Amino acid sequence: MTSPLIYVESCPICGDGLCRIRICVTNQRLTGLVLCDECEAMWTDPSMQERIESSSSETEPSCPTCNQSLWGEQSHWASIGEVCLLGWFDRVRIAKV
Amino acid sequence: MVSRKRTDSAINTLRMIPTKWAIVLVVLLIGYVLLQPRINQWLGWNLPSVASLVGDEKPTTKKEPKPTKEVVSKEKTSEKVSGNVAEKTSEKKSEVAQATTTKTANRTSDSGPKDSAPKNSAPKNSAPKDSAPKDSADDRIHGILKDLGRNRFESPEGLVYGPGSEEGHRLKHIERHLEDQPSRPGPHGVFDGDMKEFLVAIDRAFAMANKGAKGSSKKEDEGAVVYEATFEKPIGFLGGSDGKRRKNPALKKMRVVVRGKSVITAFPVQ
Repeated sequence: MTSPLIYVESCPICGDGLCRIRICVTNQRLTGLVLCDECEAMWTDPSMQERIESSSSETEPSCPTCNQSLWGEQSHWASIGEVCLLGWFDRVRIAKV
Repeated sequence: MVSRKRTDSAINTLRMIPTKWAIVLVVLLIGYVLLQPRINQWLGWNLPSVASLVGDEKPTTKKEPKPTKEVVSKEKTSEKVSGNVAEKTSEKKSEVAQATTTKTANRTSDSGPKDSAPKNSAPKNSAPKDSAPKDSADDRIHGILKDLGRNRFESPEGLVYGPGSEEGHRLKHIERHLEDQPSRPGPHGVFDGDMKEFLVAIDRAFAMANKGAKGSSKKEDEGAVVYEATFEKPIGFLGGSDGKRRKNPALKKMRVVVRGKSVITAFPVQ
């Protein structure tokens, strides 16, 4: 079974990852950001102009809104609906994997 | 009909014998009836029963061969079944052994060049600590990683592999680079070797980049450090959709992304 893989572009930092839309939901508030699925570099939006900083002591990327791990249960890769909700649909590519 | 005639003739014979001898014969007959099965059982004889002598029942001697054949055939069947099970069990065991020690037997532990042919399978460990092969001598994971506790493992160069990533653990994350993902968009570096060889190569790349060896680099980026080192011979190939389009060229470089001492990811690059 194939599932859609939504991404912006290949990661300019590590060169091997895909910059994908990560969603974090806390207290019914949805936060969207761009996260490399390989090196975990983060950007605020698909324009990829603004990086989200993380300290070297952090071994996991954290949500800039709630500070929880982006690999936690409250977080997931965005669905097409969520990408539309964020207004980023025309900035992403969709691949069948 | 025949048995009734025989019984009548026996009664007529008894009538001709004096009463005293007839009683003795009847007692002996009853004794024989009672003791015949036990004598057969105790002494292993095959005395015929009275019923078979009279003709109402077929002698047991004619019955015996059939059950023996059945037993033999059953034994053969059970041997066949158990043989198949044994064969299948040994096959399964060897499969498990192969899965946990992928390619180790055919390769050296040196992190140097490997065959550049694409590889199709890699071990799928559910949890690094539970399923990764341990060196029985010093209990090291994948033969080189020292257990630091809390599911964290340290390499000889001091790199730490701990919980994290989408897969739940960095070892599981980097394991993705032991097999190709041809349908994945963009490039996907694939290491040509097993997990132990991969970990040794990552350590070597990290050490080379730290020493500033030829063809190596070290770049800091937002709290992470990206190490890169070039090996003398290919260590893997380019996979993913880019690799597929370019016919999976061989790769000599290794890139390692580290945050603090923790490995975030590592993979071969062009």
